[in-house]
Amino acid sequence: MTALLELRDKLKLIYNKNEEFILPVIKFLVAFVVLSVVNGQMGYMTRIDSVAIVLVAALMCSFLPVGVITLFAGLFSLLHMYALSLEVAIVGLVVYLLLFLLFFRFGTKDGIVVVLTPLLCFMKIPYIMPVVMGLLGTPLSAASVGCGVVVFYLLQAVILNAPTIKTMSSADAMGKLRLVLDALLDNKAMLVMVIAFAITVIVVYIVRRMSIDYSWTIAMVAGVLLNMVILLIGDLIYETNISVVGAILGNVLALGVAKVVEFFRFCVDYSRTEKVQFEDDEYYYYVKAVPKMNVAAPTKTVKHINTQRRVAASQSRPASSQSRPTSAQGRSVTTERTRRDSAAKYDKSVSGRSVTIGSRQDESQEDYEELF
Amino acid sequence: MLNEERVILMTKMASYEEHEGKENMKIGKYFRGDYIAVQVLKSILSATVAFALILGLYVLYDFEVFMQDLYKIDLVSFAKTILIYYGVTVVVYAAFSYGIYTYRYSKARKSLKLYHQNLKKLNSMYEEG
Repeated sequence: MTALLELRDKLKLIYNKNEEFILPVIKFLVAFVVLSVVNGQMGYMTRIDSVAIVLVAALMCSFLPVGVITLFAGLFSLLHMYALSLEVAIVGLVVYLLLFLLFFRFGTKDGIVVVLTPLLCFMKIPYIMPVVMGLLGTPLSAASVGCGVVVFYLLQAVILNAPTIKTMSSADAMGKLRLVLDALLDNKAMLVMVIAFAITVIVVYIVRRMSIDYSWTIAMVAGVLLNMVILLIGDLIYETNISVVGAILGNVLALGVAKVVEFFRFCVDYSRTEKVQFEDDEYYYYVKAVPKMNVAAPTKTVKHINTQRRVAASQSRPASSQSRPTSAQGRSVTTERTRRDSAAKYDKSVSGRSVTIGSRQDESQEDYEELF
Repeated sequence: MLNEERVILMTKMASYEEHEGKENMKIGKYFRGDYIAVQVLKSILSATVAFALILGLYVLYDFEVFMQDLYKIDLVSFAKTILIYYGVTVVVYAAFSYGIYTYRYSKARKSLKLYHQNLKKLNSMYEEG
């Protein structure tokens, strides 16, 4: 555990020092992967189906705001749909517009979720998304995750019907439109997934905000179980053909990812280097504020179990050390509570006859999060 | 002379202005009723456009059948049904957004109150120094 904590602090330090470089690189990689997957899965428009174009778009995404990745992904998929057929592109555009008008008005902050959810769906591990968003996001993230699932099934409907659409004549415009719309609207799997994910996000959010011990762990376990139960019930009712083994494995993976997210959660956005400029009557200020490493002060309970002859020595301790000596069968047990300043200074060695029982209090940084 | 305490406070406030404060300050410019009314109106507009899109797609889906039936069906009752659907969509969506924006406004106000307190504190610091 100590090694892990140290690793986390090191990563945090590296991130803080090089935030200007790390963030664009992450954005670039995400954009590159997303656009490559769109091209790989669809790829009907040969003109944009090249690595050079994807690289240029990803480079642009790296220095523009995160939302641009969503925009590019939508644009690429629409262009592919257009190359397939105009009618398909119209359906795609209408669905995107509906999602934008009805849901994006409220939660523009996690627009990237709408891109990442289909990406994970293509990788067959979408179960990570609702649990992680419940932990990091707000109840409105349910809408974003739901939109992501709808986008995935829209793309899926287009991809599955593409061979049929290609063979249809251009005069059968309505036929193409109907084909895609039917595939989208009659898809019960989509309905079940959207409901399961939305409920999971909200339940995980509610449980992790409760003032109970281990609320994060309870939230993620409850979320994963609930997700599986709803998916299975949905499968029984609608025969959605959701892979049960895949769902179970995916949810176990989701649990693992959620644990990692919990461990690193303070790296996500709590501490970052700030560069601000302001002025007063006398000066211009160009301030770079670097956050201190706020590692929790762990409380340790040290229990000294001494033989009789050392009682005298332990009693001669200064009174300020708050020791509570109790003797039992010729032995004295002294319990001390000590506070350490840094987790990096974890005492790993247990010397002599004293036993060190470590109990690290969880970082109780308050969650000042928005509900919506 | 540089006053360290003042610089720290100003840095914190500048960072607030740049991040979460930005949105809150925009909200803070409005009266409560005005802000919520504008947002709900925007929501109604979005819902109207969304409804029109869905209706358009619905008509397009069965365009030939729709055009054939157009002369047979009772247009008034058809329009009534559509209007009822439209009304329900808009009312539900507007009520939902009313709830969300009321919550957001009160949250922004609370956050701005703290900011204004800090402004006053800063002012008194300047007066002292």
